[in-house]
Amino acid sequence: MNLAAPVLSFRDVSLTFANRTEALRGVSLDVRPGEFVSILGPSGCGKSTLLRIASGLVDYSSGELFVDREQLGFTFQDATLLPWRTVQGNVELLLELRGTNPADRSRIARDTLALVGLQGFEAHYPRQLSGGMRMRASLARSLTLEPRVVMFDEPFGALDEITRERLNDELLGLYRRQGFTALFVTHSVAEAAFLSSRVVVMSARPGRIVAEFAVPFPYPREPQVRYLPQFAQLCGEISLALRQATESPSPASAPVSQTPPPSSPHSDTRSQGTSA
Amino acid sequence: MSAATPSFHPPRPPAPRRSPAARLLGQLGPPLLLGALLCALYAWAQSGLEPHRRFLMPGWGALWEGAFSSPAVLAELGRSALETAHIAVVGLAISIPFGMGIGVLAFRWHFMERAVFPYLVALQSIPILAIIPLLQSLLGFGFLPKVLIVALFTFFAVPTTLLLGLKSLEPGILDLFRLQRAPWRVTLLKAGLPSALPALFSGLRISAGMAVIGAIVSELFFVSGEGGLGQLLINAKLDFQYEQMYAALIVSSLMSISVYLFFSWLGRRLFAHWHPSGDSGGG
Repeated sequence: MNLAAPVLSFRDVSLTFANRTEALRGVSLDVRPGEFVSILGPSGCGKSTLLRIASGLVDYSSGELFVDREQLGFTFQDATLLPWRTVQGNVELLLELRGTNPADRSRIARDTLALVGLQGFEAHYPRQLSGGMRMRASLARSLTLEPRVVMFDEPFGALDEITRERLNDELLGLYRRQGFTALFVTHSVAEAAFLSSRVVVMSARPGRIVAEFAVPFPYPREPQVRYLPQFAQLCGEISLALRQATESPSPASAPVSQTPPPSSPHSDTRSQGTSA
Repeated sequence: MSAATPSFHPPRPPAPRRSPAARLLGQLGPPLLLGALLCALYAWAQSGLEPHRRFLMPGWGALWEGAFSSPAVLAELGRSALETAHIAVVGLAISIPFGMGIGVLAFRWHFMERAVFPYLVALQSIPILAIIPLLQSLLGFGFLPKVLIVALFTFFAVPTTLLLGLKSLEPGILDLFRLQRAPWRVTLLKAGLPSALPALFSGLRISAGMAVIGAIVSELFFVSGEGGLGQLLINAKLDFQYEQMYAALIVSSLMSISVYLFFSWLGRRLFAHWHPSGDSGGG
């Protein structure tokens, strides 16, 4: 067990919107240096919101958050490349905003592009690239600042299965070589299990953490790990937890409950049922 | 659909590639055909006129003899066109930066949009011809009121299309800049404006065409000194020089077309490499 001080820590973080919609309820999660933590959950459960809270794009209503935002990288759901810039120009963007001098940022961008296998595509425009290549460029851009923690907001969700697996393999390679800590949001069980050292399952809205799994396979992970019976076993367990999380009763949509309903639908003291 | 028997669909070989000449014909054919049709229509309408009214629609020969073959008329046409272009360009030089400024302010502060845009729409709904006499009384007959009329004609499309373009910036890109805590000015220059450029250019193309119209209309009201094409039109009418009038009309529409084409070309140069609108022939 990793006992170093967490680089990112949510303590009882909740988010309720102005219209009283409860998006997150009492989320506590520590991410320690070197970990690869995936967050799985049904769509709309607030898993992406959690990343946006950590990076400061969204405010939370109560709880505590500890993070060094200077050390944070972010990879979005879409590649979010500037279509009027070349790949090289896009990968240089963050350095440019930080005021790095042109020679350095050109060199760093070139090196990082080579890292994600895009050497030779520096002068291409985003629309000349495939979806997978655009995502690689996006990944390269977020790595140029050498962040200690990288947040991934379903980065490969729009890609086909074959490309996604290939990029998963490469992401693990980058994770090993660059030594960043990762917080990865996805709704693919296999992707979460293959990439992560730890998988966290969230419930449907209001989002809570309902289950946690340690992934026993050591790094570096060969692509073949996917075909191990233990891997299938783990995926099955995670899928089951995910299904229960999706179907678990929430105060908003009443019945089907194993536990007796609380006296008032708004007494928020119900257990979070964290089972591992 | 008949019963469940599958019917036979023979293979179809791909159509052979068309030769360059055939493709050119495909491009130029339809507009040329329509043009020929319009000319025929013109000739037909002209032949239907009573002889004493036929001067209203001069034939091609008359147009050539009465206007385009005469160096004096050509010189006059050229000088007038330059004068009109001068008014149009100065008018645009006022309305484009001013309009862009308003668009940017409206994007920066939402209350600016709510404050200014209703009046923009109101301004647009006023028939500009109706306020020309007012401008005349206020500013006299010189260059300035003409330029202001052009600016009024061309103003509306600039802030509206720019704001539309700025607002359609991908939210993820905005987040990207926010995460780097980029100042608003930097976000505008590196993300907002480049992304709004295609939309802005569609506005500029409209405005530029309107500028030529606005300049000619302004001259119709301000006959003074050596005017431009508008004045040439009026003088030709007064002198019963209908060939010259048609020549002035042709030149003014050529000017509108070339201004439109210029902005299309400039837009393509600026963003054809990344924006799909840059591909299409129309710009």
